[in-house]
Amino acid sequence: MSESDITIEIERLSVQFGGRTVLHEIDLRVPTDGITVVIGPSGSGKTTLLRAVNRLNECFPQCRTSGRMRFRLDGEWVEAYADGYPVETLRRKAAMVFQNPNVLPTSIEKNFAVPLRSVLDCSTSEIRKRMERALREALLYEEVKDRLHDSALTLSGGQQQRLCLARALALEPAVLLLDEPTANLDFIATQKVEELLGKLKDRYSILAVSHSLGQTRRIADRVVVLREGKIAQTFEREHLKDAAVFQKLVEEVF
Amino acid sequence: MRKSFDRVFLWFSWAAGVGVPAVVLVLIGFLLKHGAGTLSMELLFGDAHWWDAVTGRQPVFDGLWPAIVGTLLLVAGASLIALPVGVAAGIYLAEYARGWWARVFSLCIDVLSGIPSIIMGLFGFTLILALRRTLLPEATDCLLLAMVCIALLVLPYLIRTTETALRGLPDSLRLIGPSLGLSHWQSIWHVHLPCSSRGILSGVILAVGRAAEDTAVIMLTGVVANSGIPGHLTDKFEALPFNIFYLTAEHRTVAQLDQAFGAALVLLCLTGGLFGLSFWLQRSLEKRWALRR
Repeated sequence: MSESDITIEIERLSVQFGGRTVLHEIDLRVPTDGITVVIGPSGSGKTTLLRAVNRLNECFPQCRTSGRMRFRLDGEWVEAYADGYPVETLRRKAAMVFQNPNVLPTSIEKNFAVPLRSVLDCSTSEIRKRMERALREALLYEEVKDRLHDSALTLSGGQQQRLCLARALALEPAVLLLDEPTANLDFIATQKVEELLGKLKDRYSILAVSHSLGQTRRIADRVVVLREGKIAQTFEREHLKDAAVFQKLVEEVF
Repeated sequence: MRKSFDRVFLWFSWAAGVGVPAVVLVLIGFLLKHGAGTLSMELLFGDAHWWDAVTGRQPVFDGLWPAIVGTLLLVAGASLIALPVGVAAGIYLAEYARGWWARVFSLCIDVLSGIPSIIMGLFGFTLILALRRTLLPEATDCLLLAMVCIALLVLPYLIRTTETALRGLPDSLRLIGPSLGLSHWQSIWHVHLPCSSRGILSGVILAVGRAAEDTAVIMLTGVVANSGIPGHLTDKFEALPFNIFYLTAEHRTVAQLDQAFGAALVLLCLTGGLFGLSFWLQRSLEKRWALRR
């Protein structure tokens, strides 16, 4: 992989919570194209790895992070953990969607207005424009266009998750960080989100955590297996084609 | 054995659940029995015409009206001082304070909430004495002093309930702001505070109730039995709880004692009205936050 194909480069990244090491000297390069999926047993550090990318671990007490992370934004490399680098910019550019849809308990429109106005100082017309574009991108616009002033809590779980995705997209990120985005959705809603990710991966670099090997095979372009805070193995697309072979490989690693 | 334990515990919970409302009902019934008969325009306004009294054209000498106005002014003034400070301190404790300093700050609030109200009154009283001897020889106990001392008294309730409400927010809500690039303060303002407003409201209700009913503080800081409606913050004032105390302590006939019960009913209605007002204010603010653009 040449440097121009990389969006995130992590070197010797370690994360500790209250003295307990959760990630140990991780080296990882996330390519610009396609979906990179992180899998691993519970407690292997998947979510922590994802949250290290947008420095969200720092919102929790007693977190210590060491190592280096570079981020390519508009062709320029930035050191994400450098002193003085505005963490808010990093979090906007590396947008995150969580396991449980965490919409604001406000109207659908306000879910966009709050971040767009606070973070980017957008005007009302700009907010409308970005909201509509993001909702279309998340394949949600047709379903909600007549009820933008209704509470976001009136949407179904799957719709709420796509709203969270759209809210992140409205900030025009470079990378999408998805933490088991379909873990709490039913079969149909999961299918819809997976379909959507297939479309989004052409425009965004995606780093996702998944709990399901089936889903990993369907959406991943490469797979990173974490075990006890270390990278145990990485697989490329060609290893994923044959279900039985992939299953065997993963079983060996787990 | 375990089954009988379960049953005893169930009965106990039932008794507690039914007992508390029963006590409240008995208390209100008792007040009504003694006080309801005295409720009249005369109790509130004495010899004055009610409209003339409310518009201030005629002073009220024998009615509760000046005490009602005094209590309302006291509650409003104390809330105006205590609300911003209390909520801000609660935000500080829940969102910013860390380590050693947080523990010291927290201890100070516990100490403040443990101070008996009579001591708070004494503090106000000595403050005025000190001011008279130094900067303000004209200073005397008055409405403003009582407001400040009552504000100090209710401050811990506001701080603790704000802190608890903010700390109780689930991580899923706490992470929304930062994950979208909002700064810490923006997250607090746009997400944390609105989402914990119901918890903060319970603190406001506690504080308003305490401010309206406290007698010990105001006895030493400016309340009198008969002063009419205060025209200025530096005037003395009347207040319902002190009125009740005064009527009970000085009564000579049963009718006078019943007047105290009437005043207690008025105070109960007044605080009930204030609770209703806080409730309505919180719900409309919440609705405005949730659905306005």
